[in-house]
Amino acid sequence: MAEVETLSHSGICVHDLKEAEQFYCGVLGARLQGAVNFYTEDTLNGRSVHQAYSLGDFLFAVALAPDFMPMPAGDQLKGAMGIRHAFTVRKAEFEKVLAGLSRNGVPFEGPVDQPEAGPFGQSVYFKDPSGNFLEIVWRRDEDVAYAEPPELDVG
Amino acid sequence: MPDAGGSQDNDLGLSGLSHLVIQVSDVARAAAFYSDVLGLEASAASWPGSAEALALASGGGQHLVLSPAAELTDLRETGVHHAFAVSPAQREKAAAALAARDAEVFDYAEDPPDEAKDRFYFLDLDGNRIQLVTRPRAGADDAPRLDHTAVQVADILWAERFYTEVLGFTPVHRVGWNTADYARAQLWADGKEDMAPGTRRLDKRYSSIVNRRMVPRVNMQVYFACGGGVFGVYLANRHFQEPPEEAVLGVPRTAFRVTEDGLARARERLEAAGWRLEGPVAHAAGRPIAASLYLRDPGGNFIELATAAEAAP
Repeated sequence: MAEVETLSHSGICVHDLKEAEQFYCGVLGARLQGAVNFYTEDTLNGRSVHQAYSLGDFLFAVALAPDFMPMPAGDQLKGAMGIRHAFTVRKAEFEKVLAGLSRNGVPFEGPVDQPEAGPFGQSVYFKDPSGNFLEIVWRRDEDVAYAEPPELDVG
Repeated sequence: MPDAGGSQDNDLGLSGLSHLVIQVSDVARAAAFYSDVLGLEASAASWPGSAEALALASGGGQHLVLSPAAELTDLRETGVHHAFAVSPAQREKAAAALAARDAEVFDYAEDPPDEAKDRFYFLDLDGNRIQLVTRPRAGADDAPRLDHTAVQVADILWAERFYTEVLGFTPVHRVGWNTADYARAQLWADGKEDMAPGTRRLDKRYSSIVNRRMVPRVNMQVYFACGGGVFGVYLANRHFQEPPEEAVLGVPRTAFRVTEDGLARARERLEAAGWRLEGPVAHAAGRPIAASLYLRDPGGNFIELATAAEAAP
């Protein structure tokens, strides 16, 4: 088996692509990086209708669900409908995240204190308009410079 | 489409559709058809630019211009259509006239809720798709007004940027951006709802996959408010031939009404954006429109911005 390097991107489905664009770009500050099946050529090639956003350094594909998906209960803010995406911010930025969510009327749960022994400091949990669960977290080790893994002498 | 209201919230002084120029093979025959079915009669004033074209006066000072074409562009399988707002009485009269001509009337399911009832489509003698939208405010005395019209493009995001950023239109209705639209596409594929051509399609899912299955999809559509009028853009579901790059004036053509100041502003803005233009062309006195600026949209559709002539004495 080849060695995996890192996560390349992930994808989720939504019920309304314009609403998702307004949420991810307008509220979370993602950048629209691509749009597929808004061109006749894509249509003829049978591509799915989706957009790609970059959020920080992460590439995030959001596809229009062709079928209705189960939705979590309206008041459930923390959980996973198969998946939850957690994005990192600097600790100094965390309050801005909470303010931004409040300003845009996005209900959230938290901040939740994470175990002190672990790398995570605090998390806030919420969901996008289609019910996909999201989390924003700051890390206690945000200033730790990671060393390159040592060359192992296996010779 | 949703009623866009009559406000002029645009610095071009847009007030909806001015006129539509459509292709017909025989002007006299087409004029008789529109007179018979919709009660549209020839406007006394001759139409600028073409001695052979005939303008029919629709309500609100708008016109449907019949332009003779030796070779018609076949738009029957596209989303291109032209809608007139009619009163219930005008609708009844149209239905009777079409029945007398043995013409087929289609009741395609529509996406906007306000068009879901009283569905009514037909093709004119040259294959132009016409929709009638029953509006309570449509006057029984006035000839039917142009309610909305739609064109097709190969890049709907570029088209949206053009119509919003350059011409100042406002998106009011989207089709194909919602899972609910896909549920309706499935109803169409199952034969439970009849959709207008160009609205739904069957796609091969990923053409590189062997034994791919066909999936029902929605063609992306965006409808815009343009100062009281409504204008739709459809993503074409097949490649189509655009007119040659240098052609900026042609038929079929959609004309929007702007103010004189608005026309000057539009010209400045379009020139600054590097857009190829013809005009503004000042028309002779006594014509229904005073001046026109001709251009193409990013889909190669012929567009005109026109100012209304002073009210006739």
